[in-house]
Amino acid sequence: MNTNRLSRLALIPLLALVALAGRPAQATSAATLTATPSAIRIGAQYDGIAMHVAGTVPAGSEVILRFTGAPSELHLREKGKIFGLLWMNVGKVSLDNVPAVCLVDSSLDLDNLGSVAAPFRLEGLRDSVVVNETAIEKVDGGGNARAAAIDGDDDEAAGKIDVMHELLLLKKHEKLYAEAAGGVRLGADSGGSRSFSATMAIPSALPPGQYRVEAIAVKDGAVVDRQTTTVEAELTGFPKWLSQLAFNRSLLYGVLASLIAICSGLIIGLVFQSKGGAH
Amino acid sequence: MNLTMNLYLPIAGNSVNCLAIFGLGGVVGLLSGIFGVGGGFLMTPLLMMMGIPPTVAASSDSNQIVGASTSGTLAHFRLGNVDIKMGLLLLIGGIAGGGIGVQIIKILRQMGNADFLISITYVLMLGIVGGYMFLESLQAMRKSARPAEQQPQPRRESVYARIVRSMPLQTDFKRSGIRMSLLLPLALGTLVGVLAAIMGVGGGFIMVPVMVYLLRMPMHVVVGTSLFQILFTCVSVTIMQATQNHTVDFILALLLLIGSALGAQVGAKVGKKLGGEQLKILLASLVLIVMVKMLYDLLVRPDVLLAYMGGH
Repeated sequence: MNTNRLSRLALIPLLALVALAGRPAQATSAATLTATPSAIRIGAQYDGIAMHVAGTVPAGSEVILRFTGAPSELHLREKGKIFGLLWMNVGKVSLDNVPAVCLVDSSLDLDNLGSVAAPFRLEGLRDSVVVNETAIEKVDGGGNARAAAIDGDDDEAAGKIDVMHELLLLKKHEKLYAEAAGGVRLGADSGGSRSFSATMAIPSALPPGQYRVEAIAVKDGAVVDRQTTTVEAELTGFPKWLSQLAFNRSLLYGVLASLIAICSGLIIGLVFQSKGGAH
Repeated sequence: MNLTMNLYLPIAGNSVNCLAIFGLGGVVGLLSGIFGVGGGFLMTPLLMMMGIPPTVAASSDSNQIVGASTSGTLAHFRLGNVDIKMGLLLLIGGIAGGGIGVQIIKILRQMGNADFLISITYVLMLGIVGGYMFLESLQAMRKSARPAEQQPQPRRESVYARIVRSMPLQTDFKRSGIRMSLLLPLALGTLVGVLAAIMGVGGGFIMVPVMVYLLRMPMHVVVGTSLFQILFTCVSVTIMQATQNHTVDFILALLLLIGSALGAQVGAKVGKKLGGEQLKILLASLVLIVMVKMLYDLLVRPDVLLAYMGGH
């Protein structure tokens, strides 16, 4: 039994060697990635942060940097035209695997990187986000038919909106999705690698959760290396305490919120009265 | 010294500039103090523009109105401007109406027509209420410019007055100086409750015209009584939203409250300087402006064709 375990242990370095030998040559050149701070602490004074990302990639490659995370379900209202005249909510759409945040930056204009960059761009989310078409419920059978009939030439009115395109617009409006170019600074090639660094503006509306920082090295139209590191965003201090109260003891929270509001109202009323205010 | 005015709101999930929130509270509080309306129909869209999710904006605003209406009710109570009996009857009707309205919305959602009905109800109510108040106040102001008798009653209203007089359970409302059936405020309260629930608003801007034109209460008692009634409505909304949806951001509410309390005190002073007719015509203008904005939103293609649930 003991010899059996020993022989298994002996196998491990051998397997590791085989695994290393099987990887592309560039990846062995000690590619690194660090994100500072390594954890985002959302306290009372949090207003977004500037995250410094640095690392090394194989020599001669360009870098695409992504900050994505906390994928979740999303239920949205879909707007459409009714009677060919009025814009209003006409249905619901359910989406799954939607990252709360997706920031993309690169060392070179993403258009110039060509098709190899496509999966890493915002538009690339089309492949991962699940749009639940069956959940799109229209005004009603009649309403849908009317809208389609009146605006036969207008795709939007007929309920055929490009949900992903609109999702990207919505998220960009909130500054939770962004795509930039040129933000990643590259160092000179030294040996088999080159260094890169970038500062990413993490938005203030960042939901707590686990995020992934990803550096994709691209050379001659191919991905030559990929590094990832995770960043945890968590509530801390007063916001954490308040959030726990609101979610775990919601009745107490609601009653307290009302009572404090009433007391504040009375105090403010009395203060103004004593100063000869209030009429 | 690094004095930052930003504060992170854990329930809203975003950071806001405290000064901007104070300012917003102040402006809405001013209007609330002058007219006795909660101001929810103004506050919620403005908060959304500042990056607060719609559901959190609406719920936190209700929380804020609890404080603002407490302060307002206190000020008006001291002046003898709160008709508690009338307020309670309207409140009971309002709660019943709110329950009915929620059920109506549920049925409509199943039928799939809810949002269409909500938008149309909103625009029509704002248009009718605003338009009627505006014209009526304009006429009254023109008449009072000449030394004439009290405003003559239109024919349609005298029929209404006869019906009101023939209703059972007549009682005196001393503060308002009127005598009518208990059933009338109950029924009107229910009606407002139904409309408010359908539109998802506190209903102040419908309740005030109802008190003025259908209950014939004096304008200054209307404002105090409306605030008294709003206080109770918003306490129940706050607790309900906190327990069911976790959307009450109490810090946001407190910031808004401090701003709006200051605004409301100034508003109450301004309101006193203005005559009843001027008050009505200003409120009418405000209601009409909101209606035009809503109509514009309905007619012009939105920038983004997807929206988050909740809010308007």
